[in-house]
Amino acid sequence: MTSICFYFQVHQPFRLKDFNFFKIGSDHFYENDNQNKELLYRIADKSYLPANQKILDLIHQSGGKFRVSYSISGTALEQFEAYRPDVIESFRDLVKTGCVEILAETYYHSLSFLYSKSEFERQVKKHSDKVKALLGVEPKVFRNTELIYNNDIAAAINKMGYKAILCEGVDRILNERSPNFVYKAAGSGMNCLLKNYKLSDDIAFRFSNQNWDEYPLTAPKFANWVHSVAGNGEVINLFMDYETFGEHQWAESGIFRFLEHLPMEVLKHPDFDFKTPSEIVDTYPAKGVYDAPFFTSWADEERDLSAWLENSMQGEAIKRIYNLEQKVLQKGQKELVEVWGKLQTSDHFYYMSTKFWNDGDVHKYFSPYDSPFDAYINYMNVLSDFELCI
Amino acid sequence: MLGWEFPPLLTGGLGQACYGLFKALSNHADLTVIIPRSEKSLKLKNIKIIGLNNLGLESSEVEEEEISLEDFADVRYIDADLNPYPINTAFFSDPAFSLETLALKDPEEIRALYNTSETYGPNIMQKVATYTEIVSDIAKTKSFDIIHAHDWITFPAALKIKEATGKPLVVHVHSLETDRVGVNARNTVYDIELATLEAADKIIPVSKFTRDCIIKNYGIDEKKIFPIYNSIDPIETFREEKKIREKIIAFVGRITYQKGPELMIETAERLSKKVDNFKFVIAGTGDRLKDIIKMSAEKGLSDKFIFTGFLSKKYVNRLLAQADVYFMPSVSEPFGLSALEASQFGVPCVLSKQSGVVEVLPNVLKANCWDVDKLSNYLYALLNYEGIRKHLIEHTKKDIDRMSWTHSADQVMEVYRQIA
Repeated sequence: MTSICFYFQVHQPFRLKDFNFFKIGSDHFYENDNQNKELLYRIADKSYLPANQKILDLIHQSGGKFRVSYSISGTALEQFEAYRPDVIESFRDLVKTGCVEILAETYYHSLSFLYSKSEFERQVKKHSDKVKALLGVEPKVFRNTELIYNNDIAAAINKMGYKAILCEGVDRILNERSPNFVYKAAGSGMNCLLKNYKLSDDIAFRFSNQNWDEYPLTAPKFANWVHSVAGNGEVINLFMDYETFGEHQWAESGIFRFLEHLPMEVLKHPDFDFKTPSEIVDTYPAKGVYDAPFFTSWADEERDLSAWLENSMQGEAIKRIYNLEQKVLQKGQKELVEVWGKLQTSDHFYYMSTKFWNDGDVHKYFSPYDSPFDAYINYMNVLSDFELCI
Repeated sequence: MLGWEFPPLLTGGLGQACYGLFKALSNHADLTVIIPRSEKSLKLKNIKIIGLNNLGLESSEVEEEEISLEDFADVRYIDADLNPYPINTAFFSDPAFSLETLALKDPEEIRALYNTSETYGPNIMQKVATYTEIVSDIAKTKSFDIIHAHDWITFPAALKIKEATGKPLVVHVHSLETDRVGVNARNTVYDIELATLEAADKIIPVSKFTRDCIIKNYGIDEKKIFPIYNSIDPIETFREEKKIREKIIAFVGRITYQKGPELMIETAERLSKKVDNFKFVIAGTGDRLKDIIKMSAEKGLSDKFIFTGFLSKKYVNRLLAQADVYFMPSVSEPFGLSALEASQFGVPCVLSKQSGVVEVLPNVLKANCWDVDKLSNYLYALLNYEGIRKHLIEHTKKDIDRMSWTHSADQVMEVYRQIA
């Protein structure tokens, strides 16, 4: 038997408003309310709601055979609550089917593990509480921000009582082995689910690329690729941003039609089914050791931390925000702790990435700023004010 | 090669750009450079230089070994012409005016006309008229394949040679009347530019920004325009301990409308409301200098500005070696070589988007020249945040190291090949 394991990431950051140096010391509200609201409305209507509806239908049509998982960041959940509670409602409907698993992550979609273990644990717990309160389930499987992973994270998560962790299936670690099995993390022995990046990215990145020699990608063609794994793998982990459906790949590209037909095409083969991450580790024993002494992620060709932490601007900004931990927590004001948390969201540092600045690329597409320099300066101005507040 | 400004006398980027380009080009083509004034100290390998100030004298043609611009003991930026460019158009508004009638004929008078450190000056039209007559006469005695003219002062001569010989004309645009005076400039200089741009076989502006100005303000067909960027020769740079407590925001150039001097005052005003740790050091002079000094005083910003007047190259370098930020909010800047020089000295730049140089410097902070909020925000960041300073300095160094006049010269050769 081979199981397909879908995990969709749902995340929206609190984007910052234009914070000219003039506002330092006089304006203590940092969010771009209008932009955040507008974007959330757009993505809810174009992506989250239609995709949720489609998946709910597929679960019903397949008699519960189609199964998926989600990780929804705390910052996304907060914005749904504020602007679009109907999105939470529709996730609740999905959870009620029993075919959908909700995963754990850091509340603020942060890089906290790299800078403060205590803050990391605080955020994982906060996220778990939020999911429980809103969706009524307690996450059992963890995925870190942007699939950032190493042996230490697996060990920490193991210790916190989670049964598995998701990560990227990185070639240089797999070393010719297949990502299509459950692995054990070196050291802790934590169960690892490895993203099959080739098949995942065929959907997430290449689906509407007309220069791709496999264009157009149809459900039968994709199911065929999946079926070719038969006998050579037990689990195919398809991990991607949920905005793939309707936002990164527009509805006009046929992405929803693809989603609609995929389960039935996959299930045509009697040896294939769908499982959620918990079900995967309950079913398949680990087949080998996955040893990641260094950090990996699912970002860019490098699959490392360079999208967030490569240049001196990112380094300075992130060190400054984590340096505030003691002061903020000592002060003990709930609002300040929340603002501090939101300023840790990894997107802020991603916007400052200059990896592709000289030729422009995917980073620019995902950034509300004209340049990484603007992203950095705006963040530093906000941070300067926040430092004054505490 | 028809030029106007040339070392060791410089008023701005034109002479420097011509010098860098000619030197690199001389490896590929035989160049005869005709300029109003040459100095015996200037000798360049493979380049024949004719200075009209030496007309008829033995030494009017010089051809010798190469020396670098930095080797001139006294490269002089001339302060005689406060604003050389927007010339007094009333001078030749008479409908009967023609360049021919203005031209001097007597060799002695001609030599005297150009034997001055004033490159432009109130009699600029007489200089242009005489240059036109003499240069077209000289051209008759030379054999050549291409006429290559740099900026409006040489354009009438270029047109005349083209008419007489039918040789292909390349027009190199370092600056336009619409940059210097404003987009609505419609005067004799504009007319000279327009006629020449129309007649040219190929046009080489120093940036895409200037290409767009040529299309928009002169209605020239895009197909014959090939932007080629200026470059900079590598030099030994250094850093120097500051003598003042405050951080230095430097500007080097003419204080004219084109450079947006009022924007410097407004930006300083914005900054000073929040911080006190900076001083603007403005090196250069021009027709707006007095207004700007007055304006800074009226706004109570006198202690935030140091006006140095004209600085020699040596002192410009020392200023750049001490500067913390280079600031050039030009209203319309075809290129902006001074930003490359500042970059060479490791000074991070805040520049206006209305400048060509930003097209070759991706790692600078740029905003529209009228966006004082953004410009001051950028200056604030470079004065206060170390991460971005470090990033811009490191990456701009790489950008600068990649530049070379040889590359620009190769592109010019490519343009020549298309027409000769």
